[in-house]
Amino acid sequence: MEETEFADVLDEWFIETLKTYKDLYVYQLENPTQVIEWTSEKRNSLSKSEILELHLPQRLFAQEIKGLCTERDFKVVRGGFTDGPVCCLVHVPGTRCAVTNDGLTSDLQVWDLGSDDRVTDVIRRTGGIRGSRNVAGSGSRIAAQPSSQPQVLHGAWSSDVQLSNVTSGQTLYKLAGPTSADPLTSLQFVSNCVFLASCCNGNIYIADTRTSAAPQLSPPLQSSPCDSVLWWADASSGLEPCCCRVIRLSSSGHATVSDLRNQKEAVSQAQLNIKTRCCCLNHVRVSWAPALDNCVAVSGFDGAVQIYNTSCWGTALLEAQPLFQHCGHAIALRSNDVPVCITSHVWHPERPRTLLSAASDGSVHVWDWVDS
Amino acid sequence: MPEIKVTPLGAGQDVGRSCILVSIGGKNIMLDCGMHMGYNDDRRFPDFSYIIQNGRLTDFLDCVIISHFHLDHCGALPYMSEMVGYDGPIYMTHPTKAICPILLEDFRKITVDKKGETNFFTSQMIKDCMKKVVPLNLHQTVQVDDELEIKAYYAGHVLGAAMVHIKVGSESVVYTGDYNMTPDRHLGAAWIDKCRPDILISESTYATTIRDSKRCRERDFLKKVHETIERGGKVLIPVFALGRAQELCILLETFWERMNLKAPIYFSTGLTEKANHYYKLFITWTNQKIRKTFVQRNMFEFKHIKAFDRSYADNPGPMVVFATPGMLHAGQSLQIFKKWAGNEKNMVIMPGYCVQGTIGHKILNGQRKLEVEGRATLDVKLQVEYMSFSAHADAKGIMQLIRMAEPRNMLLVHGEAVKMEFLKGKIEQEFSIDCYMPANGETATVTTNPSVPVDISLNLLKREMALGGSLPDPKKPRSMHGTLIMKDNSLKLVSSEQALKELGLNEHQLRFTCRVQLQDPHSDSDTLHRIYTHLKSVLKGYTTQHLPDGTVIVESIVIKVSSTPEDANTKVILLSWSYQDEDLGSFLSALLKKGLPSGLC
Repeated sequence: MEETEFADVLDEWFIETLKTYKDLYVYQLENPTQVIEWTSEKRNSLSKSEILELHLPQRLFAQEIKGLCTERDFKVVRGGFTDGPVCCLVHVPGTRCAVTNDGLTSDLQVWDLGSDDRVTDVIRRTGGIRGSRNVAGSGSRIAAQPSSQPQVLHGAWSSDVQLSNVTSGQTLYKLAGPTSADPLTSLQFVSNCVFLASCCNGNIYIADTRTSAAPQLSPPLQSSPCDSVLWWADASSGLEPCCCRVIRLSSSGHATVSDLRNQKEAVSQAQLNIKTRCCCLNHVRVSWAPALDNCVAVSGFDGAVQIYNTSCWGTALLEAQPLFQHCGHAIALRSNDVPVCITSHVWHPERPRTLLSAASDGSVHVWDWVDS
Repeated sequence: MPEIKVTPLGAGQDVGRSCILVSIGGKNIMLDCGMHMGYNDDRRFPDFSYIIQNGRLTDFLDCVIISHFHLDHCGALPYMSEMVGYDGPIYMTHPTKAICPILLEDFRKITVDKKGETNFFTSQMIKDCMKKVVPLNLHQTVQVDDELEIKAYYAGHVLGAAMVHIKVGSESVVYTGDYNMTPDRHLGAAWIDKCRPDILISESTYATTIRDSKRCRERDFLKKVHETIERGGKVLIPVFALGRAQELCILLETFWERMNLKAPIYFSTGLTEKANHYYKLFITWTNQKIRKTFVQRNMFEFKHIKAFDRSYADNPGPMVVFATPGMLHAGQSLQIFKKWAGNEKNMVIMPGYCVQGTIGHKILNGQRKLEVEGRATLDVKLQVEYMSFSAHADAKGIMQLIRMAEPRNMLLVHGEAVKMEFLKGKIEQEFSIDCYMPANGETATVTTNPSVPVDISLNLLKREMALGGSLPDPKKPRSMHGTLIMKDNSLKLVSSEQALKELGLNEHQLRFTCRVQLQDPHSDSDTLHRIYTHLKSVLKGYTTQHLPDGTVIVESIVIKVSSTPEDANTKVILLSWSYQDEDLGSFLSALLKKGLPSGLC
């Protein structure tokens, strides 16, 4: 595509967005990031072989004086260098501490994000947590406990999930029981002590860090004919475990919503319109909106982030159309360009329709879409 | 050690004014001479007392270079040249030379006429200052004097903005001014060749940001305009004649065409002619797309944008008007503003910085009641939007520029050191170069390693190559002996003999002698033989010989053994060497002082 055509296509899309987005911010990083994580509701971190703590643009927040606020840039509050890539990054709530994993081993690195007294703007490594020695070659998932205990849950396989103290590295809990070692796609706390370990074969283990009892196993609701189907899951947070819902998504686009306490039945399901364009599915993410009822975001199959409203789904398996699609990352592809894939997305914790998304070409977007 | 000194002038940590002093190869250069727009008193001028307490600057500066026409880079120029005093050359690009005086005059009018200040430059001073300007073309080397040369590179950012390469002998510095690494609708991106300067000096005001894309900013602008038009309101955009106005016009024209909009867009009379005139003059400074369209048609003959007549301001219905001056301090834009301010459906979009004292500045600070002539108050009910389209380089841009120019050192001005430790680390890590961050008023000294070209005589070269046996290793430096003759401007390395001949001097020979005592219960000749064996095993790679006349020779070092008269077992080893072999001689004497190892046959 010639330079002018490329410019025209971009222009077209931007003009379209006047109606479809309330706010849109587009950034280009030097290197793509696989991780976006909140450290406070105004700041988040990105990383590849650098960790950056960024302050969101002021203009996004300013209410009455929005017109007079011209700041549209991310402010790099702090930065740090890592020895290897960063595949997983979790901020320990209530602290200025972050934990990362490089995707190559199961060891974790612990970082000090620094304080606001501005002595320096460098994020420094303060230590590490040893992962399980049994398994190598795959990265760990990490989850931080919601209460501000400096503890993280981590593991690469269902057989080696453990809770460790961030400062001492001491193991406080180990997931008992599961004999099979399934690779994990996510670890997530649904309350202070109850967590979900989701495996890529569709198994979900629900356990409590207070007991050493075996976890509850929940296999996928419909066994798929094909063994190579992968699964991802997310549990809605912020509510009591009794109202917590779990959404599962398979690589063939089958999505099911179920109640955390009753995983045997699907409350609703749908066949999502997913076309895999990415060469690998390492970055698939499905997440519930923290401030928009029943909505989920799906990304990682191609260059778009899709928003679905699950309240329209029924018990029969029917095709569902997304409520909204953010295609900005892949909008103008030149003929010999590698297809762009979304590597990460997060919802803003408070603003109902604001998301941040990052893609394999280094772009990062902050967007607030309009509900038509 | 040769060094380059860089001092950003100014006090404390304030940003907002550029004025940097560079001392290189015995030359002193001032880079930019900006005004700090936040101060109303003398603090807005750079502190020239650093150069000289009282008096003119002419003798202390070899030249002044201005990067572009923004006031924070050239605002204090007439003050410096006419009130403090400087009569040397002031270099800037052609567009900067054309536009600077207009901005300075506008600025002067606001400050003196509107605010009634007295310690300020006059219109005549601006004219006299501009007479000292020597215009620069891109990529053209200009000899300021026999030793100092400068060259301008395209910087993007605004029309006529340049980065400057300064060279004295083999030392050089590149100053970026403000630059931009991504092209936009009317300007290209900054570019420089791999000139490998000793220092690359860059602003770091935006170094700790990640910039939102230009298109997103434009989108914001279009959204605001569109929303206002849709509800039947009027949009006023106060602009300066050049630069931003053209960019926004091109943008609106594209938008109107795409969306098939009917509301009229007007461009203040006088603006069009001026703009056309300047753009024709400086067409090479715009980007390729503009140059292409300019050939086909007059750039400012837009389909949807028409010339404004002041009576149109009273027309009902939606419209967009671009009017001067840019800060709403006088003239047509202010007139229109007064008419439209009372209606909340209307909007004013300020696309740039407004100087204190102007209406623009007041409304951008949230003031909703303004005093106008005749002590009347104006209620500001319309929507006020402040949008920044200014393109500056962020951290990514700085890294890109370093990759292009490959400097030996990096220097960042106008940043807070604690806020930039990460960026400094990034630069040092990726490029393995030092990164300096002097505060205002602080001098950064960068040692350079200039190469000194020297001719070597063929004889000397041949001789040195013959020594040392095998071919010389290019990775291992070897010391050689020669004499450096400096005649006029040439440097020549010749052999000592040749030098002595040329100078008509006799050569002296220096020989050192050393005596080492050793206990050895053998005959003198046996001891000598033992010494020979010992040295031969230790000194591999050296020519060690045991001569029949009773001496051991290592290179030029002669070793003899004799016994003391008192004790036949106490030997005295006599070592003698010439000056050239001093290192080896000292080594041998120290070695022999340790005695001979047992087990030697």
